[in-house]
Amino acid sequence: MGLTLNHFLILGAVLFCIGLYGAISKRNAIAVLMGIEIMLNAVNVTMIGFSFFNTVKVHRPDGFGNYAQYLTGQIFAIFIITVAAAEAAVALAMIIAIYRKRNTVDVGEIDMMKW
Amino acid sequence: MLYQYSWTVLFAPLLAFAVIIFVTRVWDMLSRPRVQEVPAHGDTHADIHGSIDPHHDSHNERARGADAINRVPTDGDKSLDDPTNSNSLPIGRDPIHGVLHGGHLDDDDDPKVPFLSAGAKASAYVALVLMAFACIYSWILLINSVVSPDPMLVKTGYTVFQYTWLNLGNINYQIAFHIDHLAIAMMVVVTTVTLLVQFYSQGYMQNSAGYARFYSYLSLFAFSMLVIVFAQNFLVIFTGWELVGLSSYLLIGFWINKKAKPEEQRPSPASASLQAFVVNRIGDVGFIIGIMILFVSTGTFEFSKLQIAVLGMNKTALTVAMICIFCGAIGKSAQFPLHVWLPSAMEGPTPVSALIHAATMVAAGVYMVARTFPLFYAADPAAFQVVGWIGAFTAFFAATIALVQSDFKRVLAFSTISQLGYMFVGLAVAGSEYGAGPGMFHLFTHAFFKALLFLGAGSVLFALHHAMHREVQDMRLMGGLATRMPITAATWLIATLAISGFPGFSGFFSKETIIGLAYDHQQWGLYALTLVTAGLTAFYMLRAFILAFGGKGGYLGGLWGGPYRGEGEVHESPPTMTIPLILLAIPSVLAGYWTGFFTYLNPDAKPLDIAQLLILPDTWIGVAVSLVGLIVAYAIYARVELTKIEAFVQSRPALRTVHRILYNRYYIDAFYDWLVKYVVLNGICWLAQAFDTYVIDGIVNGVASLITGFGSGVRRVETGQVQSYMIGFFGGVAVLAVLALVLINVVK
Repeated sequence: MGLTLNHFLILGAVLFCIGLYGAISKRNAIAVLMGIEIMLNAVNVTMIGFSFFNTVKVHRPDGFGNYAQYLTGQIFAIFIITVAAAEAAVALAMIIAIYRKRNTVDVGEIDMMKW
Repeated sequence: MLYQYSWTVLFAPLLAFAVIIFVTRVWDMLSRPRVQEVPAHGDTHADIHGSIDPHHDSHNERARGADAINRVPTDGDKSLDDPTNSNSLPIGRDPIHGVLHGGHLDDDDDPKVPFLSAGAKASAYVALVLMAFACIYSWILLINSVVSPDPMLVKTGYTVFQYTWLNLGNINYQIAFHIDHLAIAMMVVVTTVTLLVQFYSQGYMQNSAGYARFYSYLSLFAFSMLVIVFAQNFLVIFTGWELVGLSSYLLIGFWINKKAKPEEQRPSPASASLQAFVVNRIGDVGFIIGIMILFVSTGTFEFSKLQIAVLGMNKTALTVAMICIFCGAIGKSAQFPLHVWLPSAMEGPTPVSALIHAATMVAAGVYMVARTFPLFYAADPAAFQVVGWIGAFTAFFAATIALVQSDFKRVLAFSTISQLGYMFVGLAVAGSEYGAGPGMFHLFTHAFFKALLFLGAGSVLFALHHAMHREVQDMRLMGGLATRMPITAATWLIATLAISGFPGFSGFFSKETIIGLAYDHQQWGLYALTLVTAGLTAFYMLRAFILAFGGKGGYLGGLWGGPYRGEGEVHESPPTMTIPLILLAIPSVLAGYWTGFFTYLNPDAKPLDIAQLLILPDTWIGVAVSLVGLIVAYAIYARVELTKIEAFVQSRPALRTVHRILYNRYYIDAFYDWLVKYVVLNGICWLAQAFDTYVIDGIVNGVASLITGFGSGVRRVETGQVQSYMIGFFGGVAVLAVLALVLINVVK
């Protein structure tokens, strides 16, 4: 029994939930950031899983047929990795800025956007 | 060809209005002197005057104050060289009482007006020239249509101007003007009286502020009335109707700064004009409802189409519609119970009163009923019964009030109300063999002698104003003016005899025709009322004449001249005022001899047969009643001194009570005052205000406070903590996902 799409999806879902739990429950801003990274990677896993199993039959002129993969999901995954890197940089910069200003990285105390 | 261009009659006064407003009045205003350095006296005066006078702009006021100080006596200003006027010499001492204005000028008199600017004079000339054109054109139309009747004009008339206002599916709203014989007869009246009134105003208004504005309003008034005359359908007549209301408002309230005189029971012009406007609106509600009923039932506004269309209409609906339409005429023609505005309208300048009473406003109601005569005739006879009874009752009612009034113009006001009642009786009793003829005939003759009466009264008031240096309208302060103002007195006597129905004068023919028709048609109630009113009319008109122009001790047994009860020296008015009087005296006598009037309006009608009229016994009954009225008035007022008459009335309790009731006009004005104050303002308006405050505002404020309350509760959700937002977001997504799954399974 090889790997099927469901394995990827379940892995993605589990990772996503772990990430979401971390993002919601952690008080430390850096831990929240880590949870968000996990969620992003969960999405990447799902994307690549879909991309791998979503194939189309290509007819070649010489008569040999082959299954080709849609590469969109994989390209997306690369994009997400790039964006996640940028986002991590920005978010860490913000956390440092907030720390300098308020002397804390506890997200429970960071409520400047209150009513 | 001649008829096709008759729209120029309509547009001439409009053009005059536009030219005066945009050209000559601007010229007049710009040519007035502007003063930069204002002396101390002038400044005080300007401030006092400016504070009570919001109407004029301030630079005008400053100029006026300074001008009054620097003025020099001129020929045009009689006050300064008048030796009896001691107040005028210490100029600048008492600015509140108008001493700066040279003694006797009122709030609305303009000290600069004796030097009428070229622009002001040009305004008068523009109005006069264009109105003269309209007048001559309409006389040509009249003469041409009498001498060589045009069958087309008689039968259907010509549509001289047509413009599609709005086209909604099947319904076509047209602005259309139309002439036929009825319109031409009315056009002659309107343009002639307006022309003479405008000519006369050159003298009467020479001291008044706003001379140019006055002429523009007169032109607008004439135009509005001509819109009614030319109207081809109900929409146009209603437009003209409202325009007449507007221009009468502007003119009655022309002397906007004049104060009320409670001791003479006289309102201020401003409130009189408002009263006229509001009372007319009450009638207009009925008018517009009637028009709507007709339009909904027949789908057309045009008079010619309605004549045929109403035949297929439900008779009850038609009768109700016509009575509603008559409500408009009740308001505009000042019939009971909406007559109260007309005596108040006497506060306007006297030429305006002449115009309102003779040609342009109150005649509109009669003309409208005459125009819609076939519709009234098609309705149930109850419609004409309403018209006739309201007319007859008003005629009698107003005549009794006029018996005891001491205000010169108010007697005339009630006589107009009374004569309009006659016109409505004439329309109501005419039947198909005469059509609108008798009512319109009385309107036609009445226009001339009533304009004459008013212009003559204006001439008297003008002379007394110059003699006594204040506004005097009380006949108890007149007397014996005939030897001092012979032209005014003679023409006034002619008009008095005409309105009394003295044989040979125009009023005789038109009034006796109406009374005779009531007799012929066995309308005994209407006959009795109109007959008695004829006697009352003769009495109060001769009474007014003798009180003003005669008195015990005069010539002709007290009829001509006598002791003068006022102060100062009275002189005849200038020719600009006496010439219109003489010109109006001619038709006041001769207009009744146009025997073809009925056949002119309606070719199938019987002509007025003077020989027949003279041998009928009921004519002579009417004449006898009028003569009795004249003789009684002569016997009382020319043979006995006024103070003795007053003492006699005051010493008898019964007479005194009757006199007081009549003098207070049956307390109808007081009743309306009470009604407005306690029922309308404190009752209906209070209820409406309470409803507005508590229900309407309550709903609005309730909704608003509900939303603010909700918002202030809900804003607590915004904690500012990212994680709580995140819970909300992902929780929402989770709920939606579960929902979607469940729904998909349910659908499966």
